Amino acid sequence: MRSKKMLGPLLLFLLPALTGLFLFKLYPIGNGILQSLYTTSFLTGGQSFVGFQNYITLFQDPVFWNSLKVTLLFNIIINPLQVVLAFLLALLLNARIKRIAWFRSIHFVPVAISVPTACMLWNIMLSPEQGVVNSILAAFGLPEQPFLGSSTQALGSIIAIASWKGVGYWALFLLAGLQEVPASLMEASSLDGAGRWRQLIHIIYPMMKRPLTFIVVSITTANFLLFSPMYILTKGGPENSTNVLMLESFNSAFLYSDLGRSSAIVVILLMLTLTAVAVQFKWLKASH
Amino acid sequence: MIKNQTMRKLGTWLAPLLITSTVLAGCASGNPTPSANGQPESASATGKQEITFAAYSNYEKPLTEAINAFEEQNPEIKVKLDLAPFDQLMETIEIKLSAKSKDVDALFVDSPLVMNYSVKGYLAPLDELIDGDAKQKWTPAAVESVTYNSQLVAAPMNSSSQVLYYNKELFAKNGIPLPDENTRMTWEEVVELAKKLTGDNVYGFSFEQISKAYQMLALSDSLGVKMISEDGLTATGYSNSPEAAQAFQFYGDLFNQDQVSPKIKKEESLDYFTSGKVAMYLATNQNMPKIRDSGMDFGVTLHPYFAGKQIATPTGAWNLGVSQFSEKKEAAAKLVEFLTLGEGAQIIFEVGGTLPPQVELLDAIATDPKYEAFPDSILRIAAKESLETAVSRPMTPGYLEWESNMNKAFDDIKNGAEPQKALDQAVSIIDNQLKKYKDVAAK
Repeated sequence: MRSKKMLGPLLLFLLPALTGLFLFKLYPIGNGILQSLYTTSFLTGGQSFVGFQNYITLFQDPVFWNSLKVTLLFNIIINPLQVVLAFLLALLLNARIKRIAWFRSIHFVPVAISVPTACMLWNIMLSPEQGVVNSILAAFGLPEQPFLGSSTQALGSIIAIASWKGVGYWALFLLAGLQEVPASLMEASSLDGAGRWRQLIHIIYPMMKRPLTFIVVSITTANFLLFSPMYILTKGGPENSTNVLMLESFNSAFLYSDLGRSSAIVVILLMLTLTAVAVQFKWLKASH
Repeated sequence: MIKNQTMRKLGTWLAPLLITSTVLAGCASGNPTPSANGQPESASATGKQEITFAAYSNYEKPLTEAINAFEEQNPEIKVKLDLAPFDQLMETIEIKLSAKSKDVDALFVDSPLVMNYSVKGYLAPLDELIDGDAKQKWTPAAVESVTYNSQLVAAPMNSSSQVLYYNKELFAKNGIPLPDENTRMTWEEVVELAKKLTGDNVYGFSFEQISKAYQMLALSDSLGVKMISEDGLTATGYSNSPEAAQAFQFYGDLFNQDQVSPKIKKEESLDYFTSGKVAMYLATNQNMPKIRDSGMDFGVTLHPYFAGKQIATPTGAWNLGVSQFSEKKEAAAKLVEFLTLGEGAQIIFEVGGTLPPQVELLDAIATDPKYEAFPDSILRIAAKESLETAVSRPMTPGYLEWESNMNKAFDDIKNGAEPQKALDQAVSIIDNQLKKYKDVAAK
């Protein structure tokens, strides 16, 4: 009875958020799905309905399959890596060590740098010609590496750059979660003889499920859609080894003037992301 | 009691209403922002028209000077120069014009893209917008390259050719005699020289436009490779022919086997040469003013070729077009005319050191004694090369697709990929992309 009465104001409260959600999320998604069913003609500039033709063409295209492979490989490595690193970083930030406050400010520096700046910075440092990283390797008598210039190292280099940039940010959320873990629980467990490892497994981890779910899902969506480092650093090369779906979609739209193909790729990417997130939600569902 | 309830009811409704309206008001504050002097930003209020000119950043100096002269002569027009590096410029134009954006009025048009832009309807025909005699003032080859369906769709601004610059100091240091200005070396000779010059943080040789089709094509052209089919729709069997692979194997070897060229990006190459890290530098004639101004002691010789094969030099030109979607076509055409026929053309030629497409300026280069003395003689070499040895880039409506994928393949080859494999991969993507032009080409 009461809840029914409140429905009107409730909806009104939600209206600004809902408007934004619709305008900036749902409408573009719907429009993308629609666009993926059309093709644009050069001569007339008009659009014609082609059904699933864009998808069929995609599935026959080795470039698409390579892109899909690169995207999956990239995400299978970078997502667990970032979650683990962010968790370790959060534990470190939460530790009671001398001067930890200093480290807390320093660790945030990469986060405050914009992605393009970070990319340019690393591009210079990783340069095969006189890059500082290679100079360091040479100083230790190690062979110089091509990094972004090699098809076997480029994706790894980008994973490293993106993680350098991203982990500090995600760690903040986990740090907030860690500080919510009641000290009394920790004390009680340590009185009961639990070591640090057991505390981590049986107390911290279950208490952290909520922030963990948040960052796992956020990291996954962010990385599935990540394309600026590839765009700035490698343009998808060498030998298409960093040509993720998002970049292929961008190129389809703005280089090959093929909006239908571009939209079809985005829709597939959306499905992929949704599937991954659904699995994660199921897996990380808090048992309490 | 009743009053109290009404108030509460009102409250529950009022609060969200207030929030919603505040947010909406925040979104709607799109009033024209006044500029520093309190005047609205829009120039039309003062009768002044502002046109946006999407241009290549390498031409910043000559364009700025030419535009200043233009604005002095046409006080009613203000030109907003929108500069971008090559790749970004191509992308900006593609993104804005494919969305039929009105923010671009005049733009740089690369010669091989004239067809592509015309097919997509990006360019406004210029026949009615500029001087009727214009066509006689440019070389026939230049006019042909900007004509589509017998309409003038862009105006040629400059042409280009390449010379091999060299650092005299580095030659002297290694005790190597200087190359003769008028004797064309073979690629084999260049590599031998480069090997002698390489060492101690110095590389013997570098291209200017590393991994870019404009310069790479001279290699395959020297071996007589045709890069695309007659109808411009097939790259397989052409861009990946065994001869093409052989030409680009040579390119890859420069970096990987002989290691005489630095693995850098196009944008870094000029600095490598002027700072003495590269001894021989194959680059466009318009680099001369920049190299001269750097104060280094340099000489030039002709573009190399493969021993026993054809002599082929790159050529390419920038043209200026007016966007079909511009609402200020006349003002934009006025600018284009000024820069390609008027006083602006003279300024770009003099300040930029570019090879002009205007018959009058070309005649001056051929006859004026000023162009006998080094380094201005470079223009005379360039003019001669562009007439006698230049091979233009492949003709296809899908040049943008062809070039961007070939450039990627060239870069992979530079990084050590097997040329045949890299080219095979590129042509399969290109042919897929070229399919969509079938109807257009048939027309």
